[in-house]
Amino acid sequence: MDFFYSYIALAEIYVLLGLSTNLLVGIVGIFSVSQAAIFGVGAYVVAYLLMNTAVPFLPALLAAAALCVALNILVTLPSLRVSGDYFVVTSFGIQLLATAIFTNWTAGTGGAAGLPGVPAPLIFGQELIEPGAFLGLATAGMALGCLGFWLIMRAPFGRLLRAIREDELAVAALGKSVLRAKVSAAALAGAFAGTAGGLYATFLSFIDPSSFDLDASILLLAMVVVGGARTLAGSIIGPFVLLALPQALALIDLPTSVAAAARQLIYGVLLIVFMLFRPQGLLGEKL
Amino acid sequence: MLWLHLLVNGLVSGCALGMVAVSFSLIFATTKIFHVAHAGVYSMGGYLTWSALRHGAPEPLALLIGIVACGLLGALIQKLLYERLARSGATHLVVLIASLGASAVLQNIIAGVYTSNVLRFALPWADRTVPIGGVLLSMTQIVTVGIGLATYAGVMWFAHRTGLGKRMRAVASNPFLAEITRLNPRDVHVVVVALGSAIVCLPGALVPLDLGLQPFGGVPMLLTATIAMIAGGVGSISGAFVLAVAIAVLQNLSLLVMPGEWSIGVTFFVFVIFMLFRPRGLFAT
Repeated sequence: MDFFYSYIALAEIYVLLGLSTNLLVGIVGIFSVSQAAIFGVGAYVVAYLLMNTAVPFLPALLAAAALCVALNILVTLPSLRVSGDYFVVTSFGIQLLATAIFTNWTAGTGGAAGLPGVPAPLIFGQELIEPGAFLGLATAGMALGCLGFWLIMRAPFGRLLRAIREDELAVAALGKSVLRAKVSAAALAGAFAGTAGGLYATFLSFIDPSSFDLDASILLLAMVVVGGARTLAGSIIGPFVLLALPQALALIDLPTSVAAAARQLIYGVLLIVFMLFRPQGLLGEKL
Repeated sequence: MLWLHLLVNGLVSGCALGMVAVSFSLIFATTKIFHVAHAGVYSMGGYLTWSALRHGAPEPLALLIGIVACGLLGALIQKLLYERLARSGATHLVVLIASLGASAVLQNIIAGVYTSNVLRFALPWADRTVPIGGVLLSMTQIVTVGIGLATYAGVMWFAHRTGLGKRMRAVASNPFLAEITRLNPRDVHVVVVALGSAIVCLPGALVPLDLGLQPFGGVPMLLTATIAMIAGGVGSISGAFVLAVAIAVLQNLSLLVMPGEWSIGVTFFVFVIFMLFRPRGLFAT
């Protein structure tokens, strides 16, 4: 049963993270492969605060989210001035830079060995160690994120973001600030990713750079693409489908080195196949 | 004299990086596709050449096999992926995601077949050193500089002196006009992606002579190359090559003040500076 709870909790954390990617890639139409890096920053900040200071869980989570908001604005700002292809470079650059920092800044991140022993979240005097107990927190986090996403998409701001994707020039001609809208979207995406990171670190109680590298960003993109971009339903179903995949793969007896490559290979194939034959994913709208 | 060594190393790796930048620039300027899968083709080139050597092919033949295979791989990617996507009216974003997928597929095929451990080219001549002007250069470095400069010259000659090269530049500068004047942009795209992929096999095989083969080495290389292309000005072959050399020199000289793990930071810093002050690049056309 714990195994099943873990799967659900992890998928819920990835739903929260997927919302961040969906917002940028699906809604605003900015290609991003650096959300895993922001996710990582959230995870490391929460882990560091819980392990080295007396800051309780919720304020630590809030601090991580706030930092990720600032960070996401900072990294998107320079390249928003220029065309989309420059953003691709920024995005890859941020991702590789973040991996370099996670791996090499041993004092803060534990380096390649990672940080073991992140304490479980303590909420209202309850320590959420068992996956079943944590599930409540993850569900609450996901529900809040989904509610926020849904409300924003219904609001004028959501329409503005979608309009920017369709025709940036027309939006600017109507007197709306495209830059401000994009920066707000980036900030929101940062908050989602940071919170997801904090939950991830406390749930697994161990983090290392491999959870936040380029491959993780590709997995995340595959989740959004397979589930379906632009819709809430797509963001929810994607992580559940893709996280079930490694379990299915575990049934085939592959050596560990090949298994990791095979998993990543499947994510790549999924990206290609869905883009070729079903760009709207399972439950999304056409990209 | 450490700085002189680093300067020379930078110039040499700049020639290798320049080949990646020039080949990417050819593809990007003509097809307007941000060909992320180029990183996978780069790695594939190295591994195929290594395999050919392993099976007893002499060095030039092994390299030739790698080049031809990469060219075919590029043509396949253009034909089976990009052309289909273009026909179904895919947006830029969709093409990018597909390209990222293709890159992941290529790299993980390599990781699955050859494992992700570092493989060594054991070539007896590669580490032999020759003193030139007070600096010891390895044969690998001399060959890299020679092939790098020859490739740059060859691409310049191709783009400006041959009929196909002129057609390529015509398609790059105005696809619509090229279509109605029957320059067949679609065929040109296939040729250009094949050519770029063939070229990237050269650094793909030369860089690992020093550092060994790794399935995922292509991504940082490609990122640096695209930064060189943007800083040099999109569409300028010379710009891409010169800036690649400059960035590689800067990366190497930065070793004087900080450890090598942070060289990606130096590269990215160059990009941010250009974004802020000269987003169209130095040699913009």
